Amino acid sequence: MDQNNSLPPYAQGLASPQGAMTPGIPIFSPMMPYGTGLTPQPIQNTNSLSILEEQQRQQQQQQQQQQQQQQQQQQQQQQQQQAVAAAAVQQSTSQQTTQGTSGQAPQLFHSQTLTTAPLPGTTPLYPSPMTPMTPITPATPASESSGIVPQLQNIVSTVNLGCKLDLKTIALRARNAEYNPKRFAAVIMRIREPRTTALIFSSGKMVCTGAKSEEQSRLAARKYARVVQKLGFPAKFLDFKIQNMVGSCDVKFPIRLEGLVLTHQQFSSYEPELFPGLIYRMIKPRIVLLIFVSGKVVLTGAKVRAEIYEAFENIYPILKGFRKTT
Amino acid sequence: MAYQLYRNTTLGNSLQESLDELIQGSLNTYRFCDNVWTFVLNDVEFREVTELIKVDKVKIVACDGKNTGSNTTE
Repeated sequence: MDQNNSLPPYAQGLASPQGAMTPGIPIFSPMMPYGTGLTPQPIQNTNSLSILEEQQRQQQQQQQQQQQQQQQQQQQQQQQQQAVAAAAVQQSTSQQTTQGTSGQAPQLFHSQTLTTAPLPGTTPLYPSPMTPMTPITPATPASESSGIVPQLQNIVSTVNLGCKLDLKTIALRARNAEYNPKRFAAVIMRIREPRTTALIFSSGKMVCTGAKSEEQSRLAARKYARVVQKLGFPAKFLDFKIQNMVGSCDVKFPIRLEGLVLTHQQFSSYEPELFPGLIYRMIKPRIVLLIFVSGKVVLTGAKVRAEIYEAFENIYPILKGFRKTT
Repeated sequence: MAYQLYRNTTLGNSLQESLDELIQGSLNTYRFCDNVWTFVLNDVEFREVTELIKVDKVKIVACDGKNTGSNTTE
């Protein structure tokens, strides 16, 4: 791969490691001064060409996700080919805007043409380096779905019973309740069906945890409210809201976490000495994934079930790319 | 640190062990108030070396023991 940027625009495409280049419209002007802050930062060049290609693929996918969220998948495929070259340089711009100081060693410059992924029918002539290139999520190419459905493991919800409560009365008269005000200022109550735990506060607000589905969480919260009501308090059921949903699944193959944290360092944090799982903070949807070497994945932070599913469909092709082959 | 996100949930979940007992074993109810634990167990076997006593219902009231800890069954 060339290290200087002196190739004329029409030839830069040919220098692409990806090989065949569709006519991406070269936008990057050779007259553009370097080091002005408008220049795309050099991207990290590892020895492995495949990592670069992966980066490009992922960046082009990010590009598409940003600009064409409603586009058909076929159009996305066309855009992919056109935008391949844009990938690496866009990534570096986005890295610059989102990461601040990357603190990386001097890197080789990437000789890709800077092309923004053109929407059909438009031909942008000039680069827009000030365009916020916030990386959202790696978009998937037109591939089939993973066939794996994450299972919900825990739902946390809150509800307001709408009246002040006397926690000691509740703890003394209700079954399966704990109240230790020195340790925690709420009554901890549990029911068997659905198997859940509730934290009931003197303000009348309640947290319900442990349910495996949204309906179960709501049902459990209603049961707790009924218990409180039967004890003589004028309990209502106001503002029930699911605050967090946790799901998990298994991709059924081992994963190279080191590789994943190298290429997705904006999203990932992996400290095996602290915690054996890689923590991937996806931006869209805003979900945190714990990814383990075994191939098990935990997804959390969702307010709705669809976010869990969407996050997993987003991460699955990436994980496939980091499958352990030994 | 990133893990505080998960620490919040431990407060709420705070050990499903009691419920596990409820499902598997014979724990009917439990209560903890004023530092006093009250348990009601069903179908309990009290086993001593020589004797075996089976009981349908046991209520255990337990306080923190420093020197004294009262333990009454009925």
